Amino acid sequence: MKKIYIKEEFCIGCRLCEIYCQVKHSKSKKIIKAFKKEQPDIISRVLVEEIGHNSFAIQCRHCADAPCVEVCISGAMLKNDNTGVVTCSEDKCVGCWSCIMVCPYGVIKRDYSAGKVASKCDLCVDEDIPVCVKNCPNEALKFFDTGEK
Amino acid sequence: MKDKTTDYLIIGNSAAGLSAAASIRKNDKNGTISIISSEEYTNYSKPLITYYLAGKVSLEKIYFKSESFYKDNNFKLILGSKVDFLDEKQMLAGLSDGNQISYKKLLISSGGSPIIPKIRVVEDQNKLVGSIGSNDVHSGIGYAGKSPDKVNYPDIEGVFTLTTLEDAIKLKKYIGQNNLKSATILGGGLIGLKTAEAMLELGLQITIIELSDRVLAASFDKNASEIIENKIEENSGSIFTNTTVDEIIVTAGKVVSVVLRNGKKLATNLLIIAVGVKPNVEFIKNQSIKLNNGIVVDDYLKTSMDNIYAAGDVAVSRDRLSNEQKNIAIWPLAIRQGGIAGMNMSGEEVKYQGGFFMNSVEILGIPSISIGLNNLDEAAGVKIFSQFNPERDIYRKVTIKDNKIVGIILVGSIERAGIYCGLIGNEIDISSVAVNIAREDFGIIQLPADYRKHLVVGEGIEV
Repeated sequence: MKKIYIKEEFCIGCRLCEIYCQVKHSKSKKIIKAFKKEQPDIISRVLVEEIGHNSFAIQCRHCADAPCVEVCISGAMLKNDNTGVVTCSEDKCVGCWSCIMVCPYGVIKRDYSAGKVASKCDLCVDEDIPVCVKNCPNEALKFFDTGEK
Repeated sequence: MKDKTTDYLIIGNSAAGLSAAASIRKNDKNGTISIISSEEYTNYSKPLITYYLAGKVSLEKIYFKSESFYKDNNFKLILGSKVDFLDEKQMLAGLSDGNQISYKKLLISSGGSPIIPKIRVVEDQNKLVGSIGSNDVHSGIGYAGKSPDKVNYPDIEGVFTLTTLEDAIKLKKYIGQNNLKSATILGGGLIGLKTAEAMLELGLQITIIELSDRVLAASFDKNASEIIENKIEENSGSIFTNTTVDEIIVTAGKVVSVVLRNGKKLATNLLIIAVGVKPNVEFIKNQSIKLNNGIVVDDYLKTSMDNIYAAGDVAVSRDRLSNEQKNIAIWPLAIRQGGIAGMNMSGEEVKYQGGFFMNSVEILGIPSISIGLNNLDEAAGVKIFSQFNPERDIYRKVTIKDNKIVGIILVGSIERAGIYCGLIGNEIDISSVAVNIAREDFGIIQLPADYRKHLVVGEGIEV
């Protein structure tokens, strides 16, 4: 499957990936409206980690053996057999946070805006390229197929 | 009496059993697989019953395998039938409906049932009716004891346990019909607190009665328990520790109050007994399957009998952190053990790497996660790093033994908890980063270089 790969050495910590992710997952899809009007704040599903000059952006790795899927008690967290994309169905999620407990990357967040659900990268399945990758000025995120499931 | 045969017999229709059935089917397309359940439901997610109670999940959405799951995989499902006895030599199971099923391979994933401590039952004028429960909680007879003054707890209106969907449905109905505004919960451990979580979501006032000196005594430490206890008390809940219920007082068959061991009498129309569960092993009547507070299994999840495996809440298996054989009754391990047992029953040889305890519970808006061993004292080889901020309801504690994390408590701030879980599971030496490890902003960037590279770049990927 096509996955997002991280090129740490090119990341300058500008956090544009976070901003575009937030807009993509907003109601209005418009940057100013999304940031000025929409409440509560929209959660970015990509996370930039930074210490000094070191930084990288990380989001769900869509693991082959995804621990979040294994532990999900409601069947909300599923890995699509065909596409390999791991998604959380918000209508099934009960917010037990088991997925947060086991994700070794720490990339699942609590979202209280739509009830109480787990929020994570959906790989922008309706786009050709995920918006974080597309809008990274440095190509610090790459989207390609390595043959991994 | 009809005799039936099956290649694989699975006792239990929940996490471990269904996970096993699915992995057997992957390896053996034609073998007959029969699944027996004492319950009447095709399947449902046990951990969701408190969410059903709280109104977060409907009965339609409580199923974790689709309706077609059994048909698609050609599983034979036998509902509402208990296994009464096993004849390990003849390789057959005797069912409560009189049928017998002979098997080639057997998986016991029969789960657990609630422990009912011995409690006197008194009619309003101090007339002793009898008692429920048993002091001998591990005898396997539990509340099915034979003394003449035995009272069955479900016969008392307003006394409940909460381990099955049926329990949850009855309890929800009772709360609605009686328009209850409060609940008394016996047990402040994991099940008690999960029950409390649901009652609070329903807007009921709660009273928790706990035998030890604090709630979540087994999985939390003192500071963490204190945050949760304070929050409950701030929200007009009550907690009585170092005591238990000694007496249930009934009027016209309905609970009206309970008397605690400390002499205190509490009026209540609802008592939920949630002190814990014990493995369901009553049907194992001879010595051929080794028991020790559950069914003892080896590293391949095989019992002491060659063609019999066990998985899930009924099994006693290796705890990776203490290296002891333990009964760790949690959903994630039931799924994993079931999957591996199924593979090993159908020709593979997959080793179970052991597991460790973990739990997530949210009380009154405070999420919390605990993993592993959290009550080790600082001693040779054991280091503790923590951050305690009771004003913000935040507590983070990391217990490290021989340079590896063995325990995590996160209260109020649980984001990225899984990073710790990964460090525990992968047995990563964290001595180089330990000083920062309990910080709220602890992340992958602080991890030891090799492990971080493995996570961020991914194995075998050159970019």
